[in-house]
Amino acid sequence: MNSPAQPNRSEQMEIDASAKWPVLVLFGSAVVWLILGGALQLIAAIQLHTPSFLADCEWFTHGRVAPAAQNALVYGWGFNSALGFGLWLMARLSFASLRHGGWLIVAAKFWNLGVLLGVAGIMTGASTSFELLEMPRFVTLLLLGSYGLMGAWLVTTFTLRNTENTYASQWYLFGAVFSFPWLYTLAQVMLFTAPVRGTLQAVVDAWYVSGLYGLGFVPVALAAAYYFLPKILGRPVANYYLAPTAFWWLFFATAFTGGSRLIGGPVPAWLATTGAVANFFLIVPVVIIALNLFGTLRGAATGSVTVRFIRWSLFAFLAASLLNFALSLRGFAITAQFTLITALRDWLLLYGCFSTAMFGAAYFIVPRLTGHAWRSSALITAHLGATALGLLLITATLGWAGWEQGRMLNHAATSFTDITKALTPWFTAYSVGLMLLTIGHLAFFVNFFWSLGARCPVTGDATPAVFRAPPAMEVPSA
Amino acid sequence: MKNGLTIFAGIFAIVAASWAGLLLTAHRQYGGLAQYVDALDGNAYPLPLSGLADQGRLVYEDLGCATCHTQQVRRADFGADLDRKWGERQSYARDYIREKTVHLGDSRLGPDLRNVAARGYVDGTFLYKLLYAPHSVAPGTNMPAYPFLFDVRRVNPGQASPLALPFTGRFAPPAGSEVVPTRRAVALAAYLLSLKDTYDYPVERAKNTPPAPEKKGEH
Ligand code: HEC
Repeated sequence: MNSPAQPNRSEQMEIDASAKWPVLVLFGSAVVWLILGGALQLIAAIQLHTPSFLADCEWFTHGRVAPAAQNALVYGWGFNSALGFGLWLMARLSFASLRHGGWLIVAAKFWNLGVLLGVAGIMTGASTSFELLEMPRFVTLLLLGSYGLMGAWLVTTFTLRNTENTYASQWYLFGAVFSFPWLYTLAQVMLFTAPVRGTLQAVVDAWYVSGLYGLGFVPVALAAAYYFLPKILGRPVANYYLAPTAFWWLFFATAFTGGSRLIGGPVPAWLATTGAVANFFLIVPVVIIALNLFGTLRGAATGSVTVRFIRWSLFAFLAASLLNFALSLRGFAITAQFTLITALRDWLLLYGCFSTAMFGAAYFIVPRLTGHAWRSSALITAHLGATALGLLLITATLGWAGWEQGRMLNHAATSFTDITKALTPWFTAYSVGLMLLTIGHLAFFVNFFWSLGARCPVTGDATPAVFRAPPAMEVPSA
Repeated sequence: MKNGLTIFAGIFAIVAASWAGLLLTAHRQYGGLAQYVDALDGNAYPLPLSGLADQGRLVYEDLGCATCHTQQVRRADFGADLDRKWGERQSYARDYIREKTVHLGDSRLGPDLRNVAARGYVDGTFLYKLLYAPHSVAPGTNMPAYPFLFDVRRVNPGQASPLALPFTGRFAPPAGSEVVPTRRAVALAAYLLSLKDTYDYPVERAKNTPPAPEKKGEH
């Protein structure tokens, strides 16, 4: 089975119908968080070139807004969209409808309450200051509990599947959903419940952060790519027989990369070495995945919005993998560590790779749930264009400016005043990039809620092929 | 892969292996690191944090200073940390066991702060001025101001606060008022003034110094 299997149309519609409300609630929450988190991120970016911006307001001081934005984007936008997409896809690929979806909606509400309290906690001064674990401890159980419920649904759907075989997207989804609670619980216990001492705390945090991105978000993006490309293009995945190897290899090697984030730091050197070796071994699965997915894309007509977003996601996946590897090498890290390049790496993972894949997924899924097309194709084009421009601008800006920053940092005679002065135009360019992305987010937001409210059955060929009305919406599969 | 159980067990094994292989092993290796008692002065190093400094650590966390500042000096052949006089030596894991929470940081938009108290120009007044009006000590910087860590209040004749900031000119408060650090600012300053790893552990130096000729700072 080298392309996703298809239930017959009526079954498919039944499955989609069962997923409708849980998935729409998750997507809706995700989109709201995207706007909120994006706005906070923009505020933080503006403060780098205009430090007086909102500086008098304690809630919005840079050291709070920046982590609040990151948490809103990761736990608000990231988890809601990943779970929405994951539940839908798992149901489809398992030929099983989502049962008792009401519980999922309740769980989603509790999750979002937890994230809201957590982000508000950071902004009002309860931050723990551990990267991606900044949320105050009182939300931990709320998050774990509601996640557990949603994750259990996904796993159960997989277990109750009505198919003989499993498909790559299912493995990646399953791996992502299943590793998060372990990473999160272990990190919480080792940092807060029974805290380890000294720099071990940094090791735990680095392990968690690299796990969250590498075992959580990236696999979800890959699940989307493995599903949508063959499905929409109507062709099998190239060299699919290599996919299982890539899957296991990717998970195994990624799990050991965490230490490379601490290269040169006051921790045992073998941690960074292990991380570098793991990053080196990641080349194999990355190449296989590229062969699989770019091979599927090659020469295909890419009129579909979903395919175009996913192509960006794949480029970002390659770039982030490369950067991760480079950053674990001493020669590169001497200059790039602690600069904007470190930030670029994480941004490429979360935004470049993961978020673009979720945009693509949403454009495919939502019309199938609501039963009518996206309201405005102009807004879709705007979103795609803004995302593409924003990605290129931010990658170029952070990459170039980060390298310059690193060179200046390594030149002891250059004062910080001079470094800040030299970086200021780049900070401005970064803000412009984020504004572009915000335009895209707003287009997405408006289109999403407009489409939910509207009753506009699709007519003929007025809209792009992906948005044909069900059941005609499905591209005949290979 | 037809069997869900394979994936289930496989992923579980991977997470468990990385946890045991990285975190547990590192914990075994140096989780029990203890203070070092110097035979000459009888002190146990690193010296513990004062209660006030420990409260300041919480202010440092709550305001997210780690967003822009690292607290780790890398070794001589790794960047210009030592050339920038961010420390007389690289940071050792042992330096950090005195703090309940450790924030190594991963961004250097601002300078490393691990030894900020060892810099000649850094004292309470410098820190208060920096926090209240960064441009008064670092013109053109993008470090944010923290006015909410200070009270601007009217001076009661003859009872000016001894902590009032000595501002003149552009940054001075309106005539008849003074800028006084709040409790949080005092605690934060105490924390920053505790950041100074000047004691060099013979054990660590032996372990961490490459056999190459040792470079002596001018301190
Ligand atoms: C937006 C990033 C940013 C944030 C957030 C930030 N700083 Fe800074 N900080 C800087 C920069 C940049 C400098 C360098 C100023 C100069 O010399 O030009 C600096 C300098 C300093 C210095 C002087 C160091 C030296 O070597 O002279 C201290 C102390 C300091 N910051 C403490 C703090 C504390 C405490 C906080 C949290 C309350 C904080 N900073 C938050 C950017 C930041």
